[in-house]
Amino acid sequence: MNSYQQYIRNFCIIAHIDHGKSTLADRIIENTGLVSHREMKEQYLDNMDLERERGITIKLQTTRLIYKAKDGHEYIFNLIDTPGHVDFTYEVSRSLAACEGAILIVDATQGVEAQTLANVYLALEENLEILPVLNKIDLPSARPEEIKLEVEEIIGIDASEAPLISAKEGIGIDEVLEAVVAHIPPPSGDIEGKLKALIFDSYYDNYKGVVIYTRIFDGTVKKGDVIRLMNTKKKYEVTEVGVYSPGPMAVARLQAGDVGYIVASIKQVADARVGDTITLENDPTAEAFPGYKKVQPMVYCGIYPAEGEKYENVKDALEKLQVNDAAFHFEPETSTALGFGFRCGFLGLLHMEIIVERLEREFDLGVITTSPSVIYRVVMNDGTVEMIQNPSNLPNLLLIKHIEEPIVKADIMIPKEYVGSIMELCQDRRGKLMHMEYITETRVQLHYEMPLNEVIYDFFDALKSKTRGYGSLDYEFIRYEKSNVVKMDILLNKDLVDAFSMIVHESKAYARGKFVCEKLKEIIPMHQFEVPIQASIGAKIIARATVRAYRKDVIAKCYGGDISRKKKLLEKQKEGKKRMRQFGTVEVPQEAFTAVLKYDDNK
Amino acid sequence: MASGTEEDLLHRAYMDLLKNEIQLTARELPSGSFRVDTIFIGGGTPSLVDPALITDLMSEVRASFHLSDEPEITIESNPGTLTPEKLLAYRSAGINRLSMGVQSFDPACLKAIGRIHGPEEVVENFRQAREAGFDNINLDLMFSLPGQNLESWRDTLEKALELAPEHLSYYSLQIEEGTPFYRMIQEGTLKQNSDDLDRQMYEEARALFRKSGYHLYEISNAALPGRECRHNLKYWSMEDYLGLGLGSHSYIDGQRFSNARTHQEYGELLGEEKLPRVWTHQNTREDEIGEYLFTGLRKEEGISLSDFNRRFGEDLQEHFRDKWHKINEFIENKQLIIEEDKLKLTESGIHISNRIFVELI
Repeated sequence: MNSYQQYIRNFCIIAHIDHGKSTLADRIIENTGLVSHREMKEQYLDNMDLERERGITIKLQTTRLIYKAKDGHEYIFNLIDTPGHVDFTYEVSRSLAACEGAILIVDATQGVEAQTLANVYLALEENLEILPVLNKIDLPSARPEEIKLEVEEIIGIDASEAPLISAKEGIGIDEVLEAVVAHIPPPSGDIEGKLKALIFDSYYDNYKGVVIYTRIFDGTVKKGDVIRLMNTKKKYEVTEVGVYSPGPMAVARLQAGDVGYIVASIKQVADARVGDTITLENDPTAEAFPGYKKVQPMVYCGIYPAEGEKYENVKDALEKLQVNDAAFHFEPETSTALGFGFRCGFLGLLHMEIIVERLEREFDLGVITTSPSVIYRVVMNDGTVEMIQNPSNLPNLLLIKHIEEPIVKADIMIPKEYVGSIMELCQDRRGKLMHMEYITETRVQLHYEMPLNEVIYDFFDALKSKTRGYGSLDYEFIRYEKSNVVKMDILLNKDLVDAFSMIVHESKAYARGKFVCEKLKEIIPMHQFEVPIQASIGAKIIARATVRAYRKDVIAKCYGGDISRKKKLLEKQKEGKKRMRQFGTVEVPQEAFTAVLKYDDNK
Repeated sequence: MASGTEEDLLHRAYMDLLKNEIQLTARELPSGSFRVDTIFIGGGTPSLVDPALITDLMSEVRASFHLSDEPEITIESNPGTLTPEKLLAYRSAGINRLSMGVQSFDPACLKAIGRIHGPEEVVENFRQAREAGFDNINLDLMFSLPGQNLESWRDTLEKALELAPEHLSYYSLQIEEGTPFYRMIQEGTLKQNSDDLDRQMYEEARALFRKSGYHLYEISNAALPGRECRHNLKYWSMEDYLGLGLGSHSYIDGQRFSNARTHQEYGELLGEEKLPRVWTHQNTREDEIGEYLFTGLRKEEGISLSDFNRRFGEDLQEHFRDKWHKINEFIENKQLIIEEDKLKLTESGIHISNRIFVELI
């Protein structure tokens, strides 16, 4: 470590959702004086409108700040913001790897939650120094002493000196900054050594191409260097290096200990993968960083152009989205009901919702999404294995030996009074209880193994509602397991609409079929004829409902003041029609696809 | 509850503001550009106020605008609020057409919709109106009312026809979200009339009116030949109209705008010498075409294809060439018809008019 590195602190903030991660990041930025109060857009680091609306962080951002500490020295703080949602664990782990320490925010009214634990384990795996901080102490329900004990008991780190803060009110921020100086170690690494840098994120900029967020561990990199990405095995010439302070600022070089960005004429983010190692082509480092993995989609759905929308437009938009999202996959597919479209892979349901919303909002596209599904492992009679994501692609049953479904391990943390109802919920979702423990007197952690397809729909919502918001969930794929799943089809006016086909466990088929029929009955508008809705497994109808024939218009007046109102109404109906898709003789609104997902067992 | 004089003060205060708006508007309009051919005094219930205010209003209008030689001037009223004095005052002010919000001759129905009048008031007020010299009277009638059956509606129609008004308006009850009726339907304490009954009532009215010599000139309006409402026809022909007063709407030179809806805002804006408009929209060509169609098709005579061309510079078929197959479907299903120069809704098309309009906007 040299005198330059001595005054650097590389850290991130980890926390459960809504515990105040982004607010604290804002305060840290404000208090280090680099961005004035006026310039602060609330939750500065969340730069997408969508994120601000939902109040969640999706894309990573990093900021370099200068802090004048009480000891009189100026410190460089490289603050890395991270997504908190369970869908993005891999990204979180790689940004942790770029740091020496992590501020662990614990909500002083809620305590340690599943996501907190998950992220702490990730941080410990990376050997980070963990700095616990208790937030929201301004709230009357704050229990700092209790929570400090919880942190010590559950996580096993000393929280006795943890700063008590309110990020919202700006209390205790200075203490946090001093603690960062005092307790988070400075980086080390040999500036003269062979370049070894970690990619912890990347994005596509229209002018520069792919911009890599990087942490330099050894060596130096500057403009003109030819770098090699060790896992994708590609080489590029560096056109710019810089830091974010808070906007991008080019610098002469980045050296061991620094966090910044590299631009090198890279065309797609898929070529600059999170977790990859950067080194010099001419003088490569011996080994790449461990822990690199290609992110696997967990959840798939079909995305099709809505009526009147052009296929090309959807394709372009998906390509553009993929440019900035290495975890998003798609490939063309067709459906007899929906025509030409795409099968898209996501890290999880939230990831999927975000992509769909961006298609509708940023690209102004009308799209139809089919029910999300997981990937089934289909073992054929002849021994071959097919990975099926699209229920309509399920091979002929006679040729199938058996089907396997993905299983996850789910860690659920709840207050003890909900244990009964949550165990019931998990059991109902075909969960197998592996282990249960009381992590404090009032909080229980349940460890279940559950099929992924029971988790991806609305399990999280059900968990939240049954625990009045106090429950938290973390899950991870573990293996494939043989299962009695069947393909259930929906027929509208006697025509099979493959867009609604789903693979469901035999034990759930009837209930699910009934639910889908009833839901579709509510959503499908009346037509000039009666519309029978049927759920079937093979040739067998297992449930049905009927949409009665349609409603005539009410005869209304239309005078001067009514014209604009009527116009608005007609326009609304026209918009509604855009979201309709014709399936044979039946018009179905887009909402139908998402509505059949909101499945509550206990309704 | 405001006392008689308090209410009166409110009315006067409002009338002052209204006169203010009239003066201000007249100043803003290029002089001589606006020739007033028809006037409609509505709201609201104009017949509730001191008739002197109406007289006053008309004076202001005449002072500020150029009226045509034989304008049609209508005032809206509720049965039970009219008196011979009021009616005479209206006539003296030059008002030559009266509209009465009858709705029904069935006391039970009237009660269900919260009206203060009974059938007797209707007959009495009608007679008084005739005596005062009104020879152009419209009755508003509503069907698909809660508890109303075909018998009751038929009875209402017959009683209305007995009076021999020059004009009749007839619409279905619209149940809007947020109203007590809507809530009652959600709760199940009120049952909505079936579509079939609604259709029957509508067709019954039309059949009876037709038989009695009325011209069914619009989806929900009927008149003795020559007594069609000139004012309303302008709405359905996309002619300019100027709205004055709280919440009123206007359409001038392709621009739609509307006024403040609260007395306070209305007063504030006028106090600042500003026209009290709170919403405005300049129609695009698409807007114009769409509105031309969905208002024009309400008329029995429909849309003139040559007029469309004259107005918009292209044939209707040309304009809709991308979705003509949809329009053709309606023609094939005998819901729309093209007869020589005219595009019209048929009797069955009327019942799905919204579906058709959605394709045309």
